[in-house]
This record gives sequence, structure tokens and C-alpha cells, in this order.
Amino acid sequence: MRHVSAAEVRAVILDHVAPYLEARGLKPEQVADDFDLLTEGIIDSMGILALIAMIESHFEIKVDMEDLDPEHLTVVGPLSRYFEQKSRPGAH
Amino acid sequence: MARSQRFLSIVEGFLRSSERFPDRPAVEVAGTTLGYGELRTRAASLGATLERHTPDGGSPLTAVFAHRSPTAFAGVLAALWRGYGYVPLNRTFPPTRTRTMLERSGCRSLIVDLESSEQVADVLAGLAGPLLVLLPDHHDARAFRQRWPQHVFVCAGEFEPARAFRPGTPDSIAYLLFTSGSTGTPKGVMVAQRNVRHFVDVMAERYSITEQDRFSQTFDMTFDLSAFDMFVAWERGACLCCPSQRTLLNPGRFIQESKLTVWFSVPSVGMFMKRLGMLKPDMYPTLRWSLFCGEPLPAEIASAWAGAAPKSIIENLYGPTELTIACTLYRWNAASSPAECHLGLVPIGWPYPGMEAIVVNELLQEVAPDQEGELLMAGPQRSLGYWQDAVKTTAAFVHVPGRTELFYRTGDRVRRSSGDGPMVYLGRLDHQVKIQGYRVELGEVEAHLRREANVEAAVALGWPMTPSGAAGIVAFVGDTVLSPAELRERVRATLPAYAVPREIRVLPKLPLNANGKVDRTALLRLLEHPE
Repeated sequence: MRHVSAAEVRAVILDHVAPYLEARGLKPEQVADDFDLLTEGIIDSMGILALIAMIESHFEIKVDMEDLDPEHLTVVGPLSRYFEQKSRPGAH
Repeated sequence: MARSQRFLSIVEGFLRSSERFPDRPAVEVAGTTLGYGELRTRAASLGATLERHTPDGGSPLTAVFAHRSPTAFAGVLAALWRGYGYVPLNRTFPPTRTRTMLERSGCRSLIVDLESSEQVADVLAGLAGPLLVLLPDHHDARAFRQRWPQHVFVCAGEFEPARAFRPGTPDSIAYLLFTSGSTGTPKGVMVAQRNVRHFVDVMAERYSITEQDRFSQTFDMTFDLSAFDMFVAWERGACLCCPSQRTLLNPGRFIQESKLTVWFSVPSVGMFMKRLGMLKPDMYPTLRWSLFCGEPLPAEIASAWAGAAPKSIIENLYGPTELTIACTLYRWNAASSPAECHLGLVPIGWPYPGMEAIVVNELLQEVAPDQEGELLMAGPQRSLGYWQDAVKTTAAFVHVPGRTELFYRTGDRVRRSSGDGPMVYLGRLDHQVKIQGYRVELGEVEAHLRREANVEAAVALGWPMTPSGAAGIVAFVGDTVLSPAELRERVRATLPAYAVPREIRVLPKLPLNANGKVDRTALLRLLEHPE
């Protein structure tokens, strides 16, 4: 497993939700770190789970929902940093 | 003494429970718990207000524009209290689609919760009055009255005291549910009181439901599987646990914290849970029953779930809206089931008690056992047909040679093994796909694309394909002046999010097959081998 930066994860997240952002007139670069994909109505809970499963397989990082904080799960910045941290050597 | 044979309406099932268990919880939703007595009081008062303002002989339907809130549940019961059917509307759908459903249903009354009321302007736009709008979460309706003088608004504090309920008749509509239609307009399925009554009796008995049970509600009310959660729980005094979207992000924690005993979801939820470490051994000891419906159930999910919820029995249910929630079932058995699976999918099993299934060819003649064909079903759960659409009703509810009963054509391909083995699901006959459990008629998506792009040909395909249907939709359209992004934005205004193509490709010309029809297979190959 290689080290993944939060910026890389962010790019993958925003690419995945791009159609939904676009429909709301938003460009990926306009999305702030504290943008909440769920409360902003971009995707629903199933969409979030699908997104996390997608990032997991994209970067080959194993996720355990038990150590994910549901408050941060849906927010672009914290979610990106979670994956960065999981990809660090020694992280589990 | 023989028991009374009088028909028991759905609301009476709830009422009996409210008399037996007035202080037990009926619903946990949005951080509050409503006891049976409290929910009954709210429903009765709303129902009486509906009755006061709606003349007999008018529309037999009331729309419930509410989402995962106390008003949503009180609203459903209030409509039934009045003797009407409810029409669920969903604020997560585009407002124009909601307006179409409201218009097509011909409802003259509407119950709206706080959050949905933000969309009232979009939904009421262009609707002829007068409409009765009940606002249980508002304490002041003046702003609404000023803005829409043609409609009648009634808010909290203005409701009538409770009156006796109206039982309706066995043939009264219990709910009208819109499903995707191939022509671009959703079709309303009319489900009668007696259809739901049969379903609820079968399920409550089969699962020995008691007031100790705690049910999940993963489904929105616009998905008819939500009717299982509500009416089977309330029939026996059980508690319905309705999570918020945020709580649903961690279904495992929801099961644990709500101490659920009955779980019901689409298999996709189970698939994500397995992927994300939420199906570890013995995680869910409180579950007695784990039920899946809405998509084919992969055997690996059933197997992992059995390990995570070792005290629960897993059942795979199958059923189109037209046959009332679910009408066949299969019980998972770790030892014998793997051999009965087809392509890794759990069988759909056998018809419910009282229901009859036949497998037929294109001439509606029964095929031999072990042969595949279309599944047709008859029995007490066969619904009344499509709202104000005799043509589509006649096409789907048919007479079969040599039989007197009317059968519903499911459009699903199945095979029944000889020796009364379980039926296995093979796929759709037409261009329908399941996206996260939602039934999407690709023809409807195509109709919207053609209209918006002003082109003759558009093709929508389920892509990428998953064991249970497809993850999303990719569309192809012929030459148009619109950019794919513009086109997507336009169809997003009329289609629910799950039906909006993730990607639209504009081609100068769509490939045609030998019959001069658009070659869907060639387009699928384009997706499989992008080059």
C-alpha cells in the first residue's frame, strides 16, 4: 500500500460526485473543506457508503466503519484526511 | 363462539394495538419517541380535520408530503383514519416530479411536515385550487394563506378534536404508489385495503411479531417496502425505529443502539456493510429476523449476515409493488441453500400462502418445470391496477387460457425447478434495472432525454452492472446542441437522483442493428471496452 495524500483523495471524491455538484452549479474547486455531502443534499446515506467503498477499492485502503466518526464521514476534508492517515505505514 | 368475520382495516390494526399498549412506543423518529396513545391522538385529530374539510364523494386520496418525521407517520394514519388512501411524496425527489405525482393522483388534500414545507411553493405552482393543506408542524398559517388565497391551510392549534375513524371498504385504496413508467410519466399503483390486510396477516403470523419487537425502517415511504415496517409493527404493538439519513450511514450502529429485532433492507445495504467491516461475527445478537427485498440477494451477503446476526433467521423476499410489497419468500439455510442458488443469487422461493404463481411463455402458456419463463401471479395481494390508466392495467393484469383468476404479469424471468423446488430469479424481460433497489424504467429516462435534447434517439443503460442490477445509468444521445452537463442538469429537474444518468455521451449517430433499431448491445460493448 502506497502513501496517499488527502489532496489525492479529495480529487477522487469530487470526481465521483461531480455530476451532482454540477447540477447544483458548483465547481469542484469551489467545494470547501467543511462541505458536507449529506446535509448539502449532494448524495444520500447509501451514496456515502458507495463513495467510501469506491475510495477503498481505488486506493486499496481497508476501512473499518467502527473507527470512522459519522460526523466526519460526510465532510470532504475530514474524510480525505481519514484515508490519508489510514494509508500511512504502520496505520491499521 | 365464531370470531367476527367483519373486515379489519389497516388503521384498526393500529387502533387495537393502541388500546392494548397505549404507553408502549409506536415510533422512534427524529430523536423523539411517540407512544401508541400519542400517535393515535395526533392521527385522530388530523383525520377528523381532513373529514371536516373534505366532502364525501371527493378524491379518495390524501398526499403525505413528509419524510422521516412524526408528521409522516401521523399523516399516513390520518389518511387511513379518514377512510382514504395515502399518496407518499418525497422531498428528496425533484419538486417538479412531486408536483406531477400530486397532479396525477388528483388529491385534494395534503399533509406537510416542517422540512417539506420549504418546497411547498414549487409543488403548488400552477395547481388549481382549492387544495386542503394541513400543517401540523406550523403554528401560524397566515403567510401561506396570503400567498395562496385559493387554497385552504390549517395549522396546529386549529385541528378538530378526534372523531370515530372511517373504516372504508376492503376495496378502498390503502395507498397509491408511483413507479417508473416507460412513457416518461410515473404510473400510480392502487393497492387496496384487502391487499395490505392479507400481507400483514401473513407476515405478522409468520414472524410471530409481538409488542417486544423493534423494527428498522430503512425505506422511504415512496418505496412500498416501508409499508411492511409500519403496518406489521403496528398490527402487534411493536416499535418502528426510523433512522435519519445520518444514522443510516452506519447501519450496524443503528441495529445495535436501537436494539432492533427485525431488520428489513435492500441487499445493497448488506453489501456495503460487508465491504466496510460491519458484518463481523456476532455483531447483532438482538436480531430475530433479517429480511431482504427489492434486489436479488447475493449468497455471500446472506452467508456473512448469518454470521453477524447468528440468532436471526434470514429470508429473501420478492415482489413488485403491483402484488403488494412482497409475494414470494425463501428462507436461507447455511447447509442447503448454497446448492439452490443460481449464479450466486439466493432463490426467490415460493409464493406466500394464498398466492399462486405460474411460469409462462410469450403465449401465456405454462412452461414445463425447469424451463424459464415470465412469472405471473394471482391471489389476494393482486392490486387494483393503475390509477386512471385502463390501457396499462389491461395490459399488465391478464386472463390466462383456461383460468378464471386474473394474473399480474411481473415482467420478471424466473425458473422453477421440478419437484416443487424454489423459484430462481433470472432477470427482467424489458428494459428495467434496479439501481440501489429502486426500479428504474430505462424507457422513462430515455423519454426525458429525448424531450430535453430534442433528439429522436436516446439510450439509457444500467452501468456498471452489479449482481443486483446496476450501480447507475449511463446514457447515449444523438447529436444535440446541448452539452452533456446541460442535459444532465435538465433531466435532474424531473428524475429522482438514482435515475439521473451519471454520464451522458453525445454521439454524432447512434449505432443501429439489422432491424434499424438502436443497437443497445453495441453501446454496451462501448462501455465494456472503452477505446
